[in-house]
Amino acid sequence: MKTTRRNLLKGGLAAATTATMVGYGPKSARAQRRNEARYVPHADLRVLDPIWTTANISAYHGAMIYDTLFGIDANLNPQPQMVGQYNLSDDRKTHTFVLRDGLRWDDNTPVTSADCVASMLRWKARDGAGQHMWQRVTDLSAVDEKTFKLVLREPYGLVLEALAKTSTPLCYIMKKEIAETDPNTQITRHIGCGPFKFVESEYRPGTRVVYEKNPNYVPRSEPASGIAGGKRVHLDRVIWDIMPDAQTAASALMAGEVEFYEVPPIDIVPALQAAPGVKIEVLSALGNVGYCRLNHLHPPFNNVLIRRAAQLAVNQEDFLRAAIGNPQYYRVCGSHFTCGSPMGVEDGSEMLNQPMPARQARARELLREGGYNNMPVVVLHATDIPVMNQAAQVIAQNLRQIGMNVILASSDWGGVVTRRSVKDPPVVSGNSTTGGWNIFFTWGGGNSTASPINLFAHAATGQNAWFGWPENALNEQLRNEWAAAPDLATRRAVAQRLNRNMFEYVHDIKTGQWFGPAAYRSDRLRGVLPVPEIGPPWWNIERIG
Amino acid sequence: MMAYIVRRLLATIPVMAIVGIFVFMLLHLSPGDPAAIIAGDNATEANVAAIRARLGLDRPLYEQFVSWVWQTVRGDLGVSMFSNLPVTTLVMQRAEPTIALALTTLFVAITIAVTLGVLAAWRAGTLVDRVVMGFAVMGFSVPVFVVGYMLVYVFAIQLRWVPVQGYQSIFDGIGPWLHRLILPSVALGLAYVALIARITRASMLEVLAEDYIRTANAKGVGTGRMLLRHALKNAAVPIVTVIGIGVALLISGVVITESVFNLPGVGRLVVDAIARRDYPIIQGVMILFAGVYVLVNLTVDIAYTFLDPRIRY
Repeated sequence: MKTTRRNLLKGGLAAATTATMVGYGPKSARAQRRNEARYVPHADLRVLDPIWTTANISAYHGAMIYDTLFGIDANLNPQPQMVGQYNLSDDRKTHTFVLRDGLRWDDNTPVTSADCVASMLRWKARDGAGQHMWQRVTDLSAVDEKTFKLVLREPYGLVLEALAKTSTPLCYIMKKEIAETDPNTQITRHIGCGPFKFVESEYRPGTRVVYEKNPNYVPRSEPASGIAGGKRVHLDRVIWDIMPDAQTAASALMAGEVEFYEVPPIDIVPALQAAPGVKIEVLSALGNVGYCRLNHLHPPFNNVLIRRAAQLAVNQEDFLRAAIGNPQYYRVCGSHFTCGSPMGVEDGSEMLNQPMPARQARARELLREGGYNNMPVVVLHATDIPVMNQAAQVIAQNLRQIGMNVILASSDWGGVVTRRSVKDPPVVSGNSTTGGWNIFFTWGGGNSTASPINLFAHAATGQNAWFGWPENALNEQLRNEWAAAPDLATRRAVAQRLNRNMFEYVHDIKTGQWFGPAAYRSDRLRGVLPVPEIGPPWWNIERIG
Repeated sequence: MMAYIVRRLLATIPVMAIVGIFVFMLLHLSPGDPAAIIAGDNATEANVAAIRARLGLDRPLYEQFVSWVWQTVRGDLGVSMFSNLPVTTLVMQRAEPTIALALTTLFVAITIAVTLGVLAAWRAGTLVDRVVMGFAVMGFSVPVFVVGYMLVYVFAIQLRWVPVQGYQSIFDGIGPWLHRLILPSVALGLAYVALIARITRASMLEVLAEDYIRTANAKGVGTGRMLLRHALKNAAVPIVTVIGIGVALLISGVVITESVFNLPGVGRLVVDAIARRDYPIIQGVMILFAGVYVLVNLTVDIAYTFLDPRIRY
């Protein structure tokens, strides 16, 4: 064929069309070269307002696009983050904060102290720790564009801890006009001052969340540590691929279709460990802490003797072996404040060291002393979350072993979270139950659980407490003492008394601590930092392959 | 015929109304509170109550029902309680993968199943027949997710011929689109293959015993022409019926397949919504599914008239 301009043009067009049809055109090649990472988080991001919900995944989203005034470092100490200078008055009542230079929103407007004031007010309306602090606050106001002050009626030792805390909701700073949204209404605009920008046009709930590097973000000069320090972003994009199926996520990681799988089930970990290029690493040193909430409002657990019997009967080792399996990733823990944390004291938990037959014998005695009359104990049983499913069954069996009459009320987790708020007594008819409940199982992040104040579930304020509604005046007195304590040693001493008291009146029953490892492609990513709780921090991570 | 179609289309309205009422009552009377799920694990009771009030879930059930009906009648399926996005937007975002999976599955299943069914009928009683029917029984017995995992392990992880998961739009090129749909279509299609192949075989056996087939053979008509032109066309009515009925099976299969292969389709949307009690999504998608099912049945009924001229409406 004669080579003419027309023939060349035709050939080129045909080749381009074919390449586009089969998808190997320039666009596809560009996609391969992108400096991006794909991440499978533990849950779907449905709610984009990390103040409106306490869901952890929304807090992860918050960490991507917002920043906090203070952040917890790898040693769990609060460090300045958006704040450049911080001053505490001599009477320890006035806290003055000055924002550091260069802070801008991703719409390129400056961050001001008015933004911080509005954000703190919205946060405290939703957060237990914020509300605890606000009982002492007399004023929060902007002094100038970059300075604001918080005035308290009395010294309070947890101001920085509350502002830096990683238990949800975190005190994320939002633009004033967005932060002025009613705390009970979800925000609809997502302008951040954090290391990444939320790409709203690519957001597909239930499928995909996309973030891009925020060019307006100025990191601190210190090295990144925990969720504090210099959040230097090396990736152009981070894509969250929502995968409901664990096996699919693991296969995608092994095949190199994603780079990071946040919480692979423990039984899949050996297969991932054997896969080339995949690294298994525990990123949250404090892991998770499981606990059974007992309903203190109704029999039988309104009787402290019966609660003590149940506490003796529930065997952490049984639960951990059933739910986690691999001893490398769990430990028995006698602390209400997370073993391994600064407050991880185990005073009062000595009974956990006794052999089970002795514990069970004592538990049976306590049931007799407490006048237990074989009344049914309704255990809420979430069947759709493996750890919850196994926990309820193990707890039920442990209680049956000491002679309690246990009925599992099975539903999905959505059913459990609804029913746990019912304060009426449970009604049992044959094998079916309605109304309230006696026991449900849940867990919290180790870092959140480590603070007597930050975790609302530690309160024992009766009808105003978290589900289970424990009431104990000494618990509240000690929590307040802990909050006012000036230093770590004093706090730890108070925590020892608190822990002993919580075991005595059986605030709830701890079921042990476990450490879910993350799995990621170490042949593609480097710089993954251990974090106290809020997901893998995508700053500091570089793509190397 | 046109009057029949119009009548059938009008009949979809009461069907969808009944489905809507049923789904609404089922959802609102079953346990589960979206406000509690939205609020999250660390929320106080006051937080949950405030969200419930904000979403209007504290209103009497009849008020919620009336407002939902009024909204739906105006073509508004509502807004997701969680993501704050309109249900129609969410469905539109998810429609392409589901439609693509359904169509490719039907294509794969019908092509393989009809071929195998005709083959088995033609060689009835022989080893070929037994192998085909054995394969059909196996395809129907093994759950979709087991087939899916096996296919992923062999073809995606070991051989690396296809990706493990994900979907690529047809607008990014037919090649990548097909590349990502092969495994899900085969996994989901196997159950269909079994169902359709068995019906094809049974229907073909009946037709092959007819006098006109014997006459065709006597006239020296070739085997292929006899099977496809004379026998298959006359055996097609039950096959088309089963394909239509199978759409319901396909809808449930799509839900599982979309999870196993991480396809961002409508099936996953509704399963996630059920877990979270996101009422507007569940109600909206159920009504759409009901509408699709009614339309598929209508299409099947119309197809009969082309396959068998004796059928008239």
